[in-house]
Amino acid sequence: MKTPPTFRYGRDFEVVQRLRPEPMTEREQAAQHLIEGLEFEIFQHKAGMIALEGKETTMKLGASTAMRWGDVAFGIYTAQGDLAICATGIYHHAVLSQLPMKYIVKHWRDDQSVGLREGDSFFFNDPFYGGVHNADMGLAIPVFADGELICFIGAAVHTGECGGSEPGGMVNGARSRYDEGLLVPPIKIGEHFVLKEDILAMLSNMTRDPRTMILDIKARLAACRIAERRVNEIVSEKGADFYVGALRKVLKITGEAARKKVSRLNDGVYRQPRFLDTTGPEDALLKINLTVIKKGDKIKLCFTGSSPAIPDRPVNSYFQGIIGLAMVYFCGWFFHDLPANNGLLECLEWEFPEDTFVNAKGDMPVSYAPATQVAFAQGMFMCAARMVYSIDPKRAVGSWNSGFAVTPFGGFNQWGDPIADITPEINATGAGARPDMDGVDSAGAFFATMSDCGDIESMEADRPFVYLFRNFFNNSYGHGKFRGGSGVGFGMMVHGVPWVAIGGMGFGTRFPATLGIFGGRAAPTVFVQSVHGSNMGTMMAEGNLDLPCNMGELYGETSNETGTRVLGHVSSPPKPFLGGDTIYVPVSGGAGYGDVLDRDPEFVIADLRRNLVTSDAAERIYKIVYDKSTLRLDAAATEVARSTARDERKRTAKSFDDFNRSWQALRPKPEVLRYYGAYPDPAAVAGGAAL
Amino acid sequence: MGFNVGVDIGGTFTDFCSVGDDGRSTVYKTPTTHYDLSVGFMRGMHELGKRSGLAAREYLAQVHALRYSTTVGTNALIEHSGPKLGLITTAGFEDTIFIGRSRSWADGLPVHEARDMSRIVKPLPLVNPDMVVGIHERIDCKGNVIAPLSRQNVLDKLQQLVDKGAMGFVVSLMWSFLNPEHERMIKQIIEEEYPEDYLGAMPVTLSSEISPKAGEYTRTMTTVVNAYIHSIMAENLNRLGNELRDGGYTRPLILVHNTGGTKKVSRTKAVLTHNAGPVAGMYGSTTVGRLCGYDNIVFTDMGGTSFDIGVIVSGELRAHDFIPVIDRWRTNIPAIEVKSIGAGGGSIAWINELMGNALEVGPQSAGSMPGPACYDKGGNEATVTDADLVLGYLNPDNYLAGEMLLDVELSRQAIETHIAGPLGISVLEAAHRIRRLVDARMGQEVFNEVALKGHDPRKFVVFACGGAGAAHACGYAPYVGARTVVVPAVASVFGAFGASTMQIRQVWDVSRTMKLFRWDKQAYLDDLDGFNKVVHDLKDLAVRDLRLEGFREEQIEFCLQLDMRYGSQYNMTKIETPRLVLQGVEDVHELCELFTRCYSEIYSPEAAFPVGGINVECFYLAASVRQERAEFHKDSLSGADALKALSGSRPACFDPAAGLMDTPVYNWSALMPGNVIHGPVLIEAPETTYVIERGWTYTMDPWRNGILKQNA
Repeated sequence: MKTPPTFRYGRDFEVVQRLRPEPMTEREQAAQHLIEGLEFEIFQHKAGMIALEGKETTMKLGASTAMRWGDVAFGIYTAQGDLAICATGIYHHAVLSQLPMKYIVKHWRDDQSVGLREGDSFFFNDPFYGGVHNADMGLAIPVFADGELICFIGAAVHTGECGGSEPGGMVNGARSRYDEGLLVPPIKIGEHFVLKEDILAMLSNMTRDPRTMILDIKARLAACRIAERRVNEIVSEKGADFYVGALRKVLKITGEAARKKVSRLNDGVYRQPRFLDTTGPEDALLKINLTVIKKGDKIKLCFTGSSPAIPDRPVNSYFQGIIGLAMVYFCGWFFHDLPANNGLLECLEWEFPEDTFVNAKGDMPVSYAPATQVAFAQGMFMCAARMVYSIDPKRAVGSWNSGFAVTPFGGFNQWGDPIADITPEINATGAGARPDMDGVDSAGAFFATMSDCGDIESMEADRPFVYLFRNFFNNSYGHGKFRGGSGVGFGMMVHGVPWVAIGGMGFGTRFPATLGIFGGRAAPTVFVQSVHGSNMGTMMAEGNLDLPCNMGELYGETSNETGTRVLGHVSSPPKPFLGGDTIYVPVSGGAGYGDVLDRDPEFVIADLRRNLVTSDAAERIYKIVYDKSTLRLDAAATEVARSTARDERKRTAKSFDDFNRSWQALRPKPEVLRYYGAYPDPAAVAGGAAL
Repeated sequence: MGFNVGVDIGGTFTDFCSVGDDGRSTVYKTPTTHYDLSVGFMRGMHELGKRSGLAAREYLAQVHALRYSTTVGTNALIEHSGPKLGLITTAGFEDTIFIGRSRSWADGLPVHEARDMSRIVKPLPLVNPDMVVGIHERIDCKGNVIAPLSRQNVLDKLQQLVDKGAMGFVVSLMWSFLNPEHERMIKQIIEEEYPEDYLGAMPVTLSSEISPKAGEYTRTMTTVVNAYIHSIMAENLNRLGNELRDGGYTRPLILVHNTGGTKKVSRTKAVLTHNAGPVAGMYGSTTVGRLCGYDNIVFTDMGGTSFDIGVIVSGELRAHDFIPVIDRWRTNIPAIEVKSIGAGGGSIAWINELMGNALEVGPQSAGSMPGPACYDKGGNEATVTDADLVLGYLNPDNYLAGEMLLDVELSRQAIETHIAGPLGISVLEAAHRIRRLVDARMGQEVFNEVALKGHDPRKFVVFACGGAGAAHACGYAPYVGARTVVVPAVASVFGAFGASTMQIRQVWDVSRTMKLFRWDKQAYLDDLDGFNKVVHDLKDLAVRDLRLEGFREEQIEFCLQLDMRYGSQYNMTKIETPRLVLQGVEDVHELCELFTRCYSEIYSPEAAFPVGGINVECFYLAASVRQERAEFHKDSLSGADALKALSGSRPACFDPAAGLMDTPVYNWSALMPGNVIHGPVLIEAPETTYVIERGWTYTMDPWRNGILKQNA
């Protein structure tokens, strides 16, 4: 046994660098000759079935919102920790879960006090290894054949409540990682096929919703054990050599296929700066300066010129989380026809400068890292659309909404049970527009493609809310020749309890979260409304018919709802809402594609009929002329209006140099730029401008 | 003599099976007449009569029961030929069915299509968006009215729908399954405004009656689907009923339900007829299983384009927790689950160049048109049927009882061009690999289906049905871990056979939350009356319904199942209860222990969490009418020697290294019960071919079922 190295008491910066497949071991190499074509193809299908069974079991048994309506990353990892097989739509969790596995191999396999044995189980939620934030928790088990470690099986999913200084798993006011709750590097929580009750007691004691914590852990473990049985069956039939070699071969051929596919893209440099408008607790402009360099069979992601790290705000992200989100795009869009595993990372390179908020270090909080990561992912969509257009234009698509609209809450429900979680409408965003059609209205969440937004009755059953509405939110998407898929808006009234704490997480109130593509427009900025001391309950009881039925109606000039109305950023710390108080949350749509003046006027009329576009937008943006009472299109007048609009564009057009001069003369207010770094290039001043 | 008749209409063929009082079966298969299903239906009746030595009228007059697995409703959904419906829902939730829990684009899609995120599309809705209106009213999660219903509001919205041409109304309000008061009030208002005796009367369907279950999207879609197919089905079935009556049939037409039972047309909810054919096949498996002594059965049906899988535990059709998707619509009917995957004789083999020239089979299918290359109908892709033909398993001159001639040369060319050439292997080797790959995938899918329901697949017997089941069972059964395969005597019309034997049975279900064990108080439920009232109400519904079919309460058997969960879990585990009524806290305790025991068996003891609280969320009361089961004709066993049935031999390949070997061919019709044949051999039956691989032994049982056993 090795002497324990001292760095295990801190974080391991070496292991998190190992996102690409580990070199093939001699053992794996020696087994390659056993992997005959047909047997390998049969193995791949079987392994996929095992992962699917594991994923479905985890979701079936879990309790948190992400388990209920979400998605689980269930994977089989090699003995070195590389993800070989997975079933999931949250690819980032599957890919990133290799880091805890590699940590376990590195630190615990040969450690006398921990070790790795059959029947062990490990828990982890430190985002340094999971890559995203504390609310994402995972469990892994080692699998042995005749005493030899042959693989790991793991399940990772957002549990929602992790005992931070605010409920709901995302700590808006976190000033350091110590405000964010549980922070567990891979730790053994079970031996001899039994969970250790003292560890469970500790974990559950550190969160607001102990029951959900335990159910989720048990769900992950039960699924891993079932998958372990299946793996053992393969091994007993085909032998450990075959199994170890086949897992490795999956990685190998996936890597080769990925490189082959990348090499078909045109070489080039693709740039897409991305902006966030919040640090979590306050409005501020931050820049992710994404440059994608495609050369040969490699794609390199560079972030030079991004805003500095902010030591005491939760919007920082570990670099590994950014790479995880890159894999979301690759697995679900560009490499949709390849297996989702670590092999895909063979074609990916990256460069994260020090002291940027996309490369968190030390004790920086990262609760809001998902916002930063999805903001980056949208840049990935935009760069990739340009890369892909030459070989597969139908898949050069606009991005889905990337602003989030998470509503964390915590307290006691109407049955007296403690709760802390998020609302499921995070999974109700609109998809990006395509070259030949609109984006899908309320399609889900791009980073959890197997998730859904559930039924409201399921939500109300054990959450202390009554929904006032959940309908499409008109104009919530990017306009264009093809528009982004519509988002939704929902209103809730606190019901059945004296109070509950409600907050918000996301971005896109001050600066659009989701930009258009190829001339398409951005999804507009959105804000959350809340009414404290609302009379909504009384109006409902009295049978008032003039109540809002969708988000758009809240923008009218009058409302019968009285109380203290607050219009706020989608990102806000949790605060108490008393029984009867209301909150209205927008969930945005996808990016627009192409010029709005090229949109088929009949499509606009169809959207008017469905209340998916306002008459104002139809007239001012799409230049549609129609009869407002019958919604009948005046095609000739529309053509004239559009022609006039095009002429106006030409008349007001500037040369690029003129535009650039006038643009460069503009500058946001200093308070907006206080975390930005030097303007316009954050990297121009060493160390940035963090306060 | 009387007959029990089953009819199963499929996409390509309509199958008939008639079981006489003497226990003998008569079967018939005819192409489905899509332009008018009743044409094929009546043709089948005439043919069954003829084969029974009776004139059609005489035969129909002697039919005890005619049970029908209809696809009329499913076709209406696919063709979008339903009526223009108006949907009345709670104001603020008008977009619920279009939001579709946001992932409705994936419902009913195969996995590979659902992964191509750039191209996803939601299905065309069954209700136009402008035909949805919201009524201001609200009920909360405890059933309390927190916003009253306004009659005027209802009238105003109703007028909007009528003005737009509504031909029927669906009413689905929030929490109506718990408190249906508002839905009933709306129905009353509609009926007052449009009384039945006026031409303007339109059907009103309430979600609280069709599907009193939690979850507004699935409840609404269940109700919408039901209303959408109701009138088309009613019209079609009435017409068919009239034709049958004119033809001499005197009993009511009975429909097969996807819940595993049958009901008269007049007592059937339309939505319960979807996918009833495979469920009838599963039921047939229980019948044959009882004869052969098998009760843990996995039913498989391999046809031209799909492979159906159904799991039968302890000889019973059981509802499992799953999401029934009808066409592209998520519903919550208490159906028996039948999984369908894209694998069949028409599945196309292809080379995945990106993945290092990996061989793939499916999910694309050549279907029946153009079909496999050997059909010579324009298809030039290499399919599983082409592989079977090249391997010598199929007789090109006797396919589908000689109705179709196959061209083996076209199969060879297709496999050479698309598979063998690119891989640099022989055509025989390529055909062998295609077959093995599709068999492995089917077997692995079967394994997963059984395992996901918490059972050990190795303890199950595989029933192989459908046109290609007997040809592939020895190939896929090992991947299930099964060493015994049963090929029923009437495997090619097994859905019709199953239908002919089905019993009267229906499931009444309702969502109700009962906290059997409370986490906060760590105490058992003391409100036993609440629990018992739910059961009593369901039982009352069942008894009243079955009385209308002419049955007495004493004839009815009840079985109560509960959807249960720990604490705040979302998904349920279904438990069959030992008793209908809870007498005391010890019964609650027993129920909780039963749940934890079942849960532990399915998911491992580590997963159980009884202290986290135990809830009941949904009640299912199945009511069956005790009826005498059919007796089937049983031959006495003759000797093992099958030589008399040996019809010849032909070259077939069971090992590409050995090439084509002369293989004995037996005539199934000439085989006698008790005959035993050791593989490798081929057995030609009228509508299928048995491929008995090396290491397998075929035995014909007294009912002419084939029992295939893998040698130890």
